[in-house]
Amino acid sequence: MQYLSIIKEEWDKAIEQLLLSYTIFASVESEFGIDYEIVNPANISKISYNKAKPATSLKTFFLPVKENVTSGTSLKRQRVIIGAPNCDIQGLKILDEIYLDKEFSDIYYRDRRENTVLISIDCLEKQEHCHCTSYGIKPWSDSDSDLAAIRNGDLIILRVNTPRGQEFTNQFSVVHDLRDENIISEIEDAHKKAESLLNEANKGLPDYKETGAIVKNAGGEIWKKYSANCVSCGACATICPTCSCFLLVDKPGFEKIKQLDACQYPGFQRVAGGEDTLHKLPDRFRNRYMCKYVWKPEKFTSVACTGCGRCIEACIGKINKNELFLELAT
Amino acid sequence: MTSVKNIYKPLKAKLTEVIDESPLIKTFVLIPEEEFSFGTGQFIELSVDGIGEAPFTPSSSPHVSDKLEVTVMKTGYVTEIMHNLKPGAYMGIRGPYGRGYPVEKFFGKEVIILGGGCGLAPIRSLLYALEHIKDKLEKVILCYGSKTPADCVYKPLFDRLNNTEKFEAYRTVDRSDEEWDGPVGVVTTLLNKLKFDLKNSIAVVCGPPIMMKFGTIRFLEIGFREEEIYLSMEKNMSCGLGKCGHCMMGEYFVCKDGPVFTYNEIKDTPNIWS
Repeated sequence: MQYLSIIKEEWDKAIEQLLLSYTIFASVESEFGIDYEIVNPANISKISYNKAKPATSLKTFFLPVKENVTSGTSLKRQRVIIGAPNCDIQGLKILDEIYLDKEFSDIYYRDRRENTVLISIDCLEKQEHCHCTSYGIKPWSDSDSDLAAIRNGDLIILRVNTPRGQEFTNQFSVVHDLRDENIISEIEDAHKKAESLLNEANKGLPDYKETGAIVKNAGGEIWKKYSANCVSCGACATICPTCSCFLLVDKPGFEKIKQLDACQYPGFQRVAGGEDTLHKLPDRFRNRYMCKYVWKPEKFTSVACTGCGRCIEACIGKINKNELFLELAT
Repeated sequence: MTSVKNIYKPLKAKLTEVIDESPLIKTFVLIPEEEFSFGTGQFIELSVDGIGEAPFTPSSSPHVSDKLEVTVMKTGYVTEIMHNLKPGAYMGIRGPYGRGYPVEKFFGKEVIILGGGCGLAPIRSLLYALEHIKDKLEKVILCYGSKTPADCVYKPLFDRLNNTEKFEAYRTVDRSDEEWDGPVGVVTTLLNKLKFDLKNSIAVVCGPPIMMKFGTIRFLEIGFREEEIYLSMEKNMSCGLGKCGHCMMGEYFVCKDGPVFTYNEIKDTPNIWS
């Protein structure tokens, strides 16, 4: 594992310099919590490190809520995203499987992926509903983001994860190889601590391999019970880092607008003849669980739930899927 | 950076003829602006400019490359506007998508086709494809049911098939009218009169979900094996690319993994008949 170090002040200056050549987004801490903002000289110092997780998932940068997919321009200029947690980085893998499949590759998604330098953060703290480790995901990335940035006192430590990450750091004249073994072991200790914090908080929660059978075998009552407070707003799917269903809307000139959709909205599967397999709310509610824990795992190699817990945070009906799993597991 | 085709962009096609098939069904004859070919049973997304698009399996021969026929039942918002289109208009085509009928697997066999209502559209394309390879087939039998005699599409097709070597075609209606002197009853009743070489037959079922369900049950009762019953599934295929999620049927994207499945592939999948 290659680590580099840079003084925090220098790092902030380097980001300001990078603004000349890149559009940069970063997770920024404010009185409202942590969320992505477009970086400008005024908010560089507020970029959040070591903390879980931006309110919005990383998906938003690659699958916008709405885009013209016939005449829209794809991303040609390089951009940088700082502050993605590993749950979201892992969430991109299933999006890659869906949107970059060999037969039908989405050029808009592809260009965004190719032109984005991903700098992840290590989550050394957890939020209330974080449960990545239950689904086999570490709270830090050591391979799938290009770089990982960790705050250590007056330093920013960069873990180099990919050749693109390596190349990116070549732009900084003030980075040094990290030779201080103490700092590396401090980081490793913090990782262990974060992992045990997550494991402790989510004791008893079935792991991703178990969830499929649990969902498949669950009787109808559990879906009725947990969907009782669901208002079909689709917030769970919208905020989810892996939900990626969409609708194509036609505009004059044979243009197509691709708009994020959700199986939680009524009519999602309705056909012209009137049949609608997901007409009933408990069926729609169950569908999202079947999709994430049963069907997608049969079809794809990457996980369809990363344990980010955002669906729990976003639900206005206070539906907690972890409570559902704990109830089913016991 | 590699440049690939934009998968969302439709190909324009000129509407050259609109054929009235029944009170609710029309066939649109289209000439695509670029070369376009499809395999029988595959589907396309057909769009009305600025209005919307919907999935249809072409009803023409896959061996005719300069034009394309799509048979459309007026049943919703987009199809209602389609029915008002006049020759000269331009429509949009995306596709072809999905897995069609594996006709090479039918070589040397008796092909029994059970069709209902507008399900005859994809079947007509299949029949053209089978006519093309009839030397390699044992026999082709079409059993078709419509609600009333007036609802039957492609009426001349039946005489033509009955005059074609190795082909037989039978019709029934759910409700008779004054002129109808043929069988009355659901389409599966036509199967009762026929003898099948079960060791050497395959079945194809295409039609409304309820008919697909009872057609499949009947074929199973007769003794057809699950893997020899081919079903063309109808779901809300929207993108056609295995991405948008609307046509998910269990772990399958009907648009990409189907729309043609064998019964054994989907028998354990929930909601296949609804």
